[in-house]
Amino acid sequence: MRPPEKRMTLAMSGLFILMILLFFADLLLGSTRLEASDVIRSLLGQGTPGGEIIIMQFRLPKALTAILAGAAMSVSGLLMQTLFRNPLAGPDVLGVSSGAGLGVALTLLTITPLISLPEGSAFAGWGIIIAAWAGAGAVMMIIMVVSTHMRDIMTVLIVGLLLASAVSAVVTLLQYFSNEAMLRTYVIWTMGNLGNISYPQIRALALSTAAGLVISFVMVKPLNAMLLGETFSRTVGVRMQRTRVVLLAASSILAGSVTAFCGPLAFIGVAVPHIARLLLGTTDHRWLMPGVALSGAVIMLLSDIISSVPGGGHIIPVNTVTSLIGIPVVLWIILGRAGLGRRF
Amino acid sequence: MSTGNIIAETSGLAIGYRISRRVFTVMSNLSLQAKQGELVALIGRNGTGKSTLLRTLVGLQPSLGGVVSLAGTGLHDIGPSRLPRIVSFTSTEPLAVRHIRVRDVVALGRFPYTNWIGALTSSDEDAVSDALEATGITSLAERSIDNISDGERQRTLIARSLAQDTGLLVMDEPTAFLDLPSRYAIVSLLRRLTREKGKCVVYSTHDLDTAVNEADRIWLMTGEGVAEGAPEDLILKGIFEKAFESPLLSFSSSSGTFSFIRGRETAIALEGTGKTARLTEKALGRCGYKTDPRAGIKVVVGERDGETRWTLVDGDRSTVFGSLYDLVNSLPGDAGQ
Repeated sequence: MRPPEKRMTLAMSGLFILMILLFFADLLLGSTRLEASDVIRSLLGQGTPGGEIIIMQFRLPKALTAILAGAAMSVSGLLMQTLFRNPLAGPDVLGVSSGAGLGVALTLLTITPLISLPEGSAFAGWGIIIAAWAGAGAVMMIIMVVSTHMRDIMTVLIVGLLLASAVSAVVTLLQYFSNEAMLRTYVIWTMGNLGNISYPQIRALALSTAAGLVISFVMVKPLNAMLLGETFSRTVGVRMQRTRVVLLAASSILAGSVTAFCGPLAFIGVAVPHIARLLLGTTDHRWLMPGVALSGAVIMLLSDIISSVPGGGHIIPVNTVTSLIGIPVVLWIILGRAGLGRRF
Repeated sequence: MSTGNIIAETSGLAIGYRISRRVFTVMSNLSLQAKQGELVALIGRNGTGKSTLLRTLVGLQPSLGGVVSLAGTGLHDIGPSRLPRIVSFTSTEPLAVRHIRVRDVVALGRFPYTNWIGALTSSDEDAVSDALEATGITSLAERSIDNISDGERQRTLIARSLAQDTGLLVMDEPTAFLDLPSRYAIVSLLRRLTREKGKCVVYSTHDLDTAVNEADRIWLMTGEGVAEGAPEDLILKGIFEKAFESPLLSFSSSSGTFSFIRGRETAIALEGTGKTARLTEKALGRCGYKTDPRAGIKVVVGERDGETRWTLVDGDRSTVFGSLYDLVNSLPGDAGQ
């Protein structure tokens, strides 16, 4: 094994172990004190009734969601960065999360009250997910069109910003016409929340995340070629049009599903691919893809632990934590690299 | 000279762009050839369509008419999976990544041969090592592309092209942004690939010197079309002069290079021999003096105490100088302008 491969294997194993440890830490830590033995017994279905409810109904779904959401958002960001050749691309930065949010807002604030569906029904799961995909996909398509005409990174970012603003204006308008209960649901959703998610919803999230990750992993070869530019990719036989559509779909599915259930998770998508590149020391998507997924899961679990631990009782919105982790990374990209170097 | 098989050929080719329904023809009726084992330099002024021709040749953009055939098959009849095994292309497009290892860049040249995930077999690894060695960058293999010089980066791209294992290598301005020694090094590397590996290399360049000295064949783009032939053929036919016609330049057919035209020249006599005399003539020429034995003023090159001295004789006055700089700065009149 060459030294780089040794390092990557080491980093990946480290990340995997860290993910397992943090997963259990996430189950163990929270506003109610539980012993490690309680946690394990509850997982095996032999715990005290109270502990079992806390673990199985609250902490386990939250920890599982953290893993899924972290992996999905981060891989989505990785795809966008390579696709748009933009180190600052990510679901939230490019307005893709906002697009997904618009889809969610439309379902939560208009359609759901109209046909008055019971909370937690199958429609509430897949309906919201599909609306989020559509919203995310629409924004991705606009960004794609802009980025094929404008090579400039800043232009694309500004368009993303404008799209996000336009979308939030529409959402504000929707809020104006909706009732108080719906509004509260929506506002809580925007804060980013890993907790409020039912098992059927986790299943939907897991299925779509798995689908998105599988599609992404199938694309590692063209993704690697795209690192050397579009012209190169075309001359070695990459079908760019098809590749773009597939990558667009995959990143919309990943970012859209997470956004549908957890709200617009800030900065995870932009920051984690850079953290993973740094840890693994590679740009090869064959390693980067699983590395980014693991790093995303680790950072999301960490954010969740931080958001629920301090002081006990209170839970700070997870978006606050992810922003505090993500913003320094983004600043480091912008400042530490002679402006926007146009490259990763 | 080798007489290899024709690997690239165009006949009646028209190149240009289609933007919505409007057609912009850059050049038409191009009939060109390149053979195995040949170094072909594509030369032309800015905006004559060098990149358009190269991109059309490798199938990156559609032709507006005529035929391109590569390795004996029409471009349209070559399947998308076979084309990358016939021709490789190196553009001036910047890389999207900063921290990619040289070896990884070269390994991406194996793209057309690897499986769905891009895993390298041992024969792929061999091809990568060979390409690194042929371009002299084996020692840089584990370095990041950002930590090597421009010339080394160009070698990396050539190695990648080589790893693609195609008979035809097309390169858009491989010597752009390089200093003089690096330019020569790159062109002689390209030439060596044609000789030792039997490749055909077609490259575009603005560097006439290296092209005239190293290329087997030149495609010279002028306003009227592309002239083709050995560099010396084109010089003999006076095509170079026409292609780069400019009131500021004069073309020397003997050396195949251009030099500035100095405008009005004053006669000056020069006495001396060897390298010193030739350089003295050059310095005088730069300042608007032309050597003529009948001239009134005279420069005598000589030696005193083992040091070269220049004596300027003007009528009965004579002055001695220790350097050409001092000499040309005390030449009389406004001849320097």
